[in-house]
Amino acid sequence: MKPIPTGEMTLGPFFPREFAQGANDLATEARGEVIEITGRVVQADGKALDNVVLEIWQADSRGRFDDPQFFGWGRAATDANGVYRFRTVKPGAYEGRVPHINFCILYSGLMRQLQTTMFFELAKDPVLDAVPAARRPLLVARREGTAYRFDIRLRGEGETPFFDD
Amino acid sequence: MLSRRDPKTQSEGVVAGYAQTSQRWPSQPLVRRPLTRSELSGPRDVLQRLAPVRGDLAGYGAKRALGQLIHIRARVIDEDGTPVPGAVVEIWHCNAAGKYIHPNDSNDAPADANFYGAARMVAGDSGLVELRTIKPGAYPVPDTGGWWRPPHVHFSVWGRIWLSRLVTQMFFPGDPLNDADPILQAIRDPDARNRCIAQLVPTTKGPQNALVYDYQIVVRGRGATPALA
Repeated sequence: MKPIPTGEMTLGPFFPREFAQGANDLATEARGEVIEITGRVVQADGKALDNVVLEIWQADSRGRFDDPQFFGWGRAATDANGVYRFRTVKPGAYEGRVPHINFCILYSGLMRQLQTTMFFELAKDPVLDAVPAARRPLLVARREGTAYRFDIRLRGEGETPFFDD
Repeated sequence: MLSRRDPKTQSEGVVAGYAQTSQRWPSQPLVRRPLTRSELSGPRDVLQRLAPVRGDLAGYGAKRALGQLIHIRARVIDEDGTPVPGAVVEIWHCNAAGKYIHPNDSNDAPADANFYGAARMVAGDSGLVELRTIKPGAYPVPDTGGWWRPPHVHFSVWGRIWLSRLVTQMFFPGDPLNDADPILQAIRDPDARNRCIAQLVPTTKGPQNALVYDYQIVVRGRGATPALA
């Protein structure tokens, strides 16, 4: 019998804080446009969530995932105001996909990881197109100066679309 | 390369008896998306961004943590049963009295000056990660009217691709609290649930003076490492 993936369980409330520190700057030696991504994570009743762990995976500025000068993975945690921050470079497009950043969200009370994708504009893309049209704008970050704002609502009105893979 | 998950072998999103899940699990159905290079590639080595943290939590002599010495042998394999050498594994758990090192832990249980309950390690050639530590205690969950978490060890694992990412908990065999734990019981399939419980290895077969537990972790994905370029 082939092995079945282990059941996911919640990160719990006591994930060591230091495990999520110092890993949110991806732009250390890369070429490309340096950007900041920030946002607030809230739950159904609107409460901002502290210590949510967010991990991202993205291509480099040329749309490549194997760039020795750019490691496209990072991790951040929200602060007491529910705010997270990444510093990175704007990813490039590659065959069939427009620029985007994959997010994985891990938290206490989340029984499984939540997967979502941040986009820079509403454009034709097979992943964005899989989302009902009315909800697609929720995956598009808003430009604020040099930063892109990508808020995440886990549940409720304006809930962020999440993926099942 | 990646099969769809059987929901019976995975936790439900909203769990009775665990109030926060109904605030946090999405109300809308999850969207099925096509998988492209972006989702099927992944970080080769997250230790480029995260430092290793020592793999012995029990200590020795005067620095020995309180509690029953245990030795966890966790093996990371993929859906083919192939070991995943180089898999990065984070492990954290509370002390023998049920207290975490985390500042948010309000449990009225003593800290242990000799216990730092977290490690970050890399699996060897056979996908094996070994951790010498002490058995964590049970502890009450605040504001729940009697829910006690059974002794458990948290695992966070990176496999070969982005979608191999796994965060889970390992339980101990025979603990009566296992059957009443909303987190373990959120996995409906009994076999899948049992695979979250470690196996006690006969004491003649392990390192001296420690109870040895074997635990298998299956991350998603199969076949060779996907092309990234």
